[in-house]
Amino acid sequence: MKALLTICLFFLVNLTLAQTTIKGIVKDNKGETVPGVNIFLKGTYEGTSSEVDGSYELATDETGKFILVFQAIGFKSQEFEIDLNGSAQTFNPILKETINEMTAVTITAGAMEASDEKKAVVLRPIDIVTVPSAMGDIIGAFQTLPGTANVGNDGRLFVRGGDASETSIFIDGMKVGNAFGTTASNVPTRTRFNPNLFKGSFFTTGGYSAEYGHALSSALALSTVDMPARNQGDISLLSVGMGYSQTLVGEKNSLTATANYMDLSPYQAMVTQNFDWERAPYGWDAEVSARQKWGKSGMVKAYARTESGGMKIWQKIPGSEGRGQLVDLKNHYTFSSGSFKQIGKNDWSYYGGISYSNNVDEFTLDQIDIRNQNRVIHAKAVALKGFSDKFSLRTGIESYLFSYEEGLKSENLVRDFNDLQANLFTEGDYYVSNKLIFRGGLRAGHSVLADQTWLDPRVSLAYKFENEGQLSLAAGQFSQMPVEQLRIASPEVQNTIANHLILNYFLTKKGRTLRAEAFYKDYKKILTYEGPQYFYRNIQQNGSGYAQGFDVFYRDQTTVKNTDFWVTYSFVDSRRKFAQFTEMVQPGFAPRHNASIVVKHFVSGLKSQLGGSFAINDGFTYTDPNFAGQMNAKTKGFRDLSLSWSYLPKPNLIIHFACSNVLGRDNIFGYQFSPTTNESGKYESLPIRQTAPRFIFLGIFLTLSKDKTANNLNNL
Amino acid sequence: MKKYTLIIALLMFVASFANATNEAYEKAMLKEIQAFGKAGPVSEVQKSANAFARIAEMNAGEWLPDYYAALAYANMGFRTEGGLEEKDGYYAQAKKHIEKAKAISPNNSEIVAVEGYIIMGELAADPNSRGQSLSGLAMQTFGKAIGLNRQNPRAIILMAQMEYGMAQFFGQGPEKACGLVASSLELFAKEAAEAKEGSLNPLWGKGMAEEMKENTCK
Repeated sequence: MKALLTICLFFLVNLTLAQTTIKGIVKDNKGETVPGVNIFLKGTYEGTSSEVDGSYELATDETGKFILVFQAIGFKSQEFEIDLNGSAQTFNPILKETINEMTAVTITAGAMEASDEKKAVVLRPIDIVTVPSAMGDIIGAFQTLPGTANVGNDGRLFVRGGDASETSIFIDGMKVGNAFGTTASNVPTRTRFNPNLFKGSFFTTGGYSAEYGHALSSALALSTVDMPARNQGDISLLSVGMGYSQTLVGEKNSLTATANYMDLSPYQAMVTQNFDWERAPYGWDAEVSARQKWGKSGMVKAYARTESGGMKIWQKIPGSEGRGQLVDLKNHYTFSSGSFKQIGKNDWSYYGGISYSNNVDEFTLDQIDIRNQNRVIHAKAVALKGFSDKFSLRTGIESYLFSYEEGLKSENLVRDFNDLQANLFTEGDYYVSNKLIFRGGLRAGHSVLADQTWLDPRVSLAYKFENEGQLSLAAGQFSQMPVEQLRIASPEVQNTIANHLILNYFLTKKGRTLRAEAFYKDYKKILTYEGPQYFYRNIQQNGSGYAQGFDVFYRDQTTVKNTDFWVTYSFVDSRRKFAQFTEMVQPGFAPRHNASIVVKHFVSGLKSQLGGSFAINDGFTYTDPNFAGQMNAKTKGFRDLSLSWSYLPKPNLIIHFACSNVLGRDNIFGYQFSPTTNESGKYESLPIRQTAPRFIFLGIFLTLSKDKTANNLNNL
Repeated sequence: MKKYTLIIALLMFVASFANATNEAYEKAMLKEIQAFGKAGPVSEVQKSANAFARIAEMNAGEWLPDYYAALAYANMGFRTEGGLEEKDGYYAQAKKHIEKAKAISPNNSEIVAVEGYIIMGELAADPNSRGQSLSGLAMQTFGKAIGLNRQNPRAIILMAQMEYGMAQFFGQGPEKACGLVASSLELFAKEAAEAKEGSLNPLWGKGMAEEMKENTCK
């Protein structure tokens, strides 16, 4: 017993005697001192933190061999073996920075992101639905962003001199076929999808990742809400219809079911229309969206939507009397998709899914019955591996099945085509530092129908300056098969090809965002043809073209209190030989000067958000057959002032009022000409106008939930 | 007999050793909790955060060190005069620690309350653009914390702050928030009366409630 005590005492004495002091200064690789570093002996309570000047001092009673650790946010940990023997020691470590995804440079060339989670974003998801001119349509909001053109008689997304088919739309990574509602010619359409479905979007006007294919000019990737917050029911009463949505949320899963009905008849009876409607547009839709958490970090989503609708409209024929031609249109549409994402071990992660779109259009044009059916199946699987904090590689495989059928029912004539496309892509991201990133990607594809194999290389890089500004450069090749209406007439046609070169500057600081971009894009193998749809002849692939220009975007949320505004200017110089044109012309959908301003102001006293947006361009080109040449004339400039008022009397009730074209300007998008000349030898014309002088939208949105603070805005 | 003595001695030695680690843990925690309570500027709070992180590494089964480390980082986010990136960096660290604490002690009202407090910090860092997406989430999280323990004054006072912000946004009176302030103060008083000397459990937040009572609920 005594011996034990002696030994213990001996140790105790020994311990007190052998105090060791460790000190030094911690610096980073730029030579600057690092404060707040956690410095400790592994496996003990002994530790300290570095001071503001980077110095530290650690006195310990421990003896023997230990590991001394230096840990700090944004730096790699450093460890030293140390022998504590009572004599003072000095360590002056130099910490190496780690790549921090939150603050590191991001490639912003071509890209405009709306997200709540990421940094280099242009918009937040909420901003999209509150753009006054958007009238609740996602695309309406994107038309206030740089690089897009407002083509009011179409309604789809036109990017930098490209036509609407050059933009591909994806939901949770999966391709959406016929994302826009079917409409008669010169009657604008809308996206089919409700903005409330989405938590964010990634819109790119060029130079995008190898992950996106089948898109010549632009990709719009929408991501759906992961997990709704609570059980709730949402009622919407609109000037053009009504809807109900019920959400049920469990511990690991959720289900949302929605049904909407719309009919413009009562509205059109009250508000003057420019068009001669026999039956105003009507339709219903139903959708179900389910999400299931998969393990700790995975998620599986399923979504299905079906809708049906139609319209009947008289379209005047220039040079003839009467109401003109009656277009009777019915549309049936289904979209369903399943997608997953999962984080694996060793810095692997996976995502993918499958989608199916089926669109059936039934037209009656002057007693001719036409039925078109377009189906797209898209399957995709991607694996992402982080080899270090500096290098990651994304590799994916995709297949598309395009199936299209068109028939003149009254003539019993039907033709169709099927095309299977396989794609493989790989893309590496390499961070040289937090300030410099390189990205290189390759996308390969093969089309069975066209019997063509292709390879699209893409590269980009970005550098972040001390002031947080970023400069990005992107270049690449983009391939897309021509539209199905042309492929069916000439199944052997090959890819249309575009090359993009983009230089972008992006700065966001304290609620202000500046984005400036210059671009050059050239087109090869554009299709030229003669005749109207269903009767295309002499289809050739010798068209070409280019688009060049720049755009500027400035957004400010801080200078004026409670006010958010953004200003956009886009200059596009685009010419191409395409469609029926036999020489290079400026397309009718590519105005040269485009500008818009969006202002939103919140007035607490009125519990209201007031909004205004103004859009202007220098007019649309068209061909006047009374004069020589192609695209030889231009309409007067387009102008639109839209105002909106969102009133929130209670947290769960929103009343939204919006009016487009408040000033009642008679915007003209082009002219239609009679097929033959009149007695005096002139082709007679009719202007292509807006559907109505104004569109007035009134919506009442009520949320029913046990949680009284829930409102529709939470979904946005 | 000798054999037994040896065994008993050995047992006692082991017991005292185990006791010693526990004692060391408690001693270290108590010291750091006191220092944390006095820490003013961000640089000092960082030292507390570091210290709690060190203790957490030594005691993988205890939720309190990670809890306090998360709280320290959240406070740094609220206190720093730096920009959004810096704040988000602190909140990211806070989240790391709160996730670890949650894994050790699931369904713990105190941990969930701090989880909500971090979300509140992220919201406050950029209310213009984060308000819509995070205010609902913060309230939901505080609601969950209250649901787990109705006697948790911290969950209630944090909820009161969110309620007050919400009422201001919608131009309503502070009555609902002030009701929560009053009940949190009662619970704080009860907690103080029952607290044992040297307790490591969370006791913070009373100042927040008193300040709110003084400035908002007169």
